[in-house]
Amino acid sequence: MDYRAQIGIRFITRRRGSLIAASLAVAIAILVVQVNSVIFQGLYDAIVRDQINYRFGHVYITRQEDFITKSDFMLVNWLERIPYVQAAAPRIDSAASINATIGGKIVRDYSVPVIGVDPVLDREASTMYQTVAPGGQYVSYRDSVVVGAIVDRDLGYPQVGDTIKLKFKDQFGNDILRRLTIVGITATAGSVGLDNSVIMNIDTLREILDRPHQTQSILVKLSDPTKDTDVKDLFLAAFPSNADKFKAQTIEESAEQTLSGFRSGIALINLVGYFGMMSSAFAVVTIQMMQVTSKTRDIGVMRAIGAKRKDVLLVFIFQGMVIGAIGAGLGTVMGVTYTAYAKETHMTFQGSLPLEVKYNWTSIMQTDIMAFVLAVIASIYPAYKATRLEPVEAMRVG
Amino acid sequence: MADYVLEVKNVDKVYGQGDTEVYALRNLSFSVKRGEFMLIVGSSGSGKSTLLNMIGLLDRPTRGKVIIDGVDTSELNDNELSTFRNSKLGFIFQFSNLLSDLTVLENVTLPRKIQGTIQNSADEAKTLLKTVGLENQMHKFGNQISGGQAQRVAITRALIAKPAVVLADEPTGNLDSVSAETTVQLLKSLNRKLYQTFIIVTHDRHQFGEVDKVVTIKDGRILKEEMEANLA
Repeated sequence: MDYRAQIGIRFITRRRGSLIAASLAVAIAILVVQVNSVIFQGLYDAIVRDQINYRFGHVYITRQEDFITKSDFMLVNWLERIPYVQAAAPRIDSAASINATIGGKIVRDYSVPVIGVDPVLDREASTMYQTVAPGGQYVSYRDSVVVGAIVDRDLGYPQVGDTIKLKFKDQFGNDILRRLTIVGITATAGSVGLDNSVIMNIDTLREILDRPHQTQSILVKLSDPTKDTDVKDLFLAAFPSNADKFKAQTIEESAEQTLSGFRSGIALINLVGYFGMMSSAFAVVTIQMMQVTSKTRDIGVMRAIGAKRKDVLLVFIFQGMVIGAIGAGLGTVMGVTYTAYAKETHMTFQGSLPLEVKYNWTSIMQTDIMAFVLAVIASIYPAYKATRLEPVEAMRVG
Repeated sequence: MADYVLEVKNVDKVYGQGDTEVYALRNLSFSVKRGEFMLIVGSSGSGKSTLLNMIGLLDRPTRGKVIIDGVDTSELNDNELSTFRNSKLGFIFQFSNLLSDLTVLENVTLPRKIQGTIQNSADEAKTLLKTVGLENQMHKFGNQISGGQAQRVAITRALIAKPAVVLADEPTGNLDSVSAETTVQLLKSLNRKLYQTFIIVTHDRHQFGEVDKVVTIKDGRILKEEMEANLA
């Protein structure tokens, strides 16, 4: 082993207090970044997951500025012939008015979103049916309706089996009043968009809106989500946009509005994490300065017997590498342990939305490398100070 | 022509400037032949340690030259001085100054590692450690051995790179009388056995008995220079 590495390693490993303090500073910085990643990246991924599961699928097909007039049966069948496609289902998004009681006051013509779903196909392409509270069922027959938990509250807590009145406007602006039977109440963790909605049979909604055989969107669920762009491109190639005016979007595109703000938030949180890492670098600088002070005499002796300034520099750089390596190792263990804990316990955000916890080894490696490099960079100034010591003076003061 | 391993020519060392100028050394000149055992003696504050620092290239003279093994060291830059110290000079300090985080063997081989000539260095270090009676201590750390033993380790460290001159600054100053006597005998025997040049700074001239040369310093000047024939 290079003698400078050997001395650097000995200097720091035989000062356990300094080694533990410096390594912990690095490790805790990594842990902070990891915890941030588990919580905020987990929350982001959970939102993406729920947006896929409930609203958009992996690929979301619509028609520019209008309803899809091609047969949904044909489109779903065409899509399901693509090997990566697991299922596809048509939907119509609309709105209806209810007379709600909000904060103890009756609010007339309170508008709620209405989602029209195919009772059979939607179970394959979406997990929305799983959000129905026990005792209820998903939309089945023509006049059945599933209400979101917030709508249910605003309606004064009607139960399964009760009927509610919804006022729609058809495509010509005529009011259509319909009485529908509640078959279930949905409650999604974190209220990801469904708790304030009403879900009903797509054919009933088509009939009310006077849009027979029309569809507003098609959700496509993939067996291999990485192929979303391929599926999108295949679809658009088969149905050229100038003819059908179809619009196909991956989840990143369809949920862009929801996700873009969140991405900025994650970037900010990561920045905070990396500032934490900078703080750990200052801790390393301080501990390394203390090391230089306590090793002043040894530096003087080394210089006297022929070590050059650069040799002294390397001793303390190697010392920083030891701190960085041990800190990164320790930080990885702590971070992975926390990630495993979050995954195994199905950690939720503020007690509601279950986080989508993943072992992001690329991110872990990047953080480790950054922490290691920072520990080494943090050692440069103390190492430089060590090289400035003159042998006679160093041996006298040391 | 005499085989001088060290020539000190008109060396001044001045601290401060203008009115605050203090001469630590003033117009010092002497030379040392290869294989000589020389003492630099003087009372505390006489300038003998400053002189040793000049000879040891740990400090530069304000004026004058230090020539070691025929090389004018005033011409050397910082890196060259380090290399020169490593290859031509061996140091024995008052407090042994072993690196406490290295073992005895690692301390002894350190100059060779710095030099980049590590081949056989461990074997040579073991042989030297056997010579000074420390073959059983070589795996102990620098702070796990006695002061006398540490000083003997320092002596082997000074010799491992086969320097032209070994410089010792009060090598017995921190030792009890028995260890001091052992150290003196060891230095003298190594001088005879290895034909190794030693320059030793001491305030206790009598401890060393017969030597080849004694330079007495007072107030930064050479008070007297005695050669072997004139020594009692």
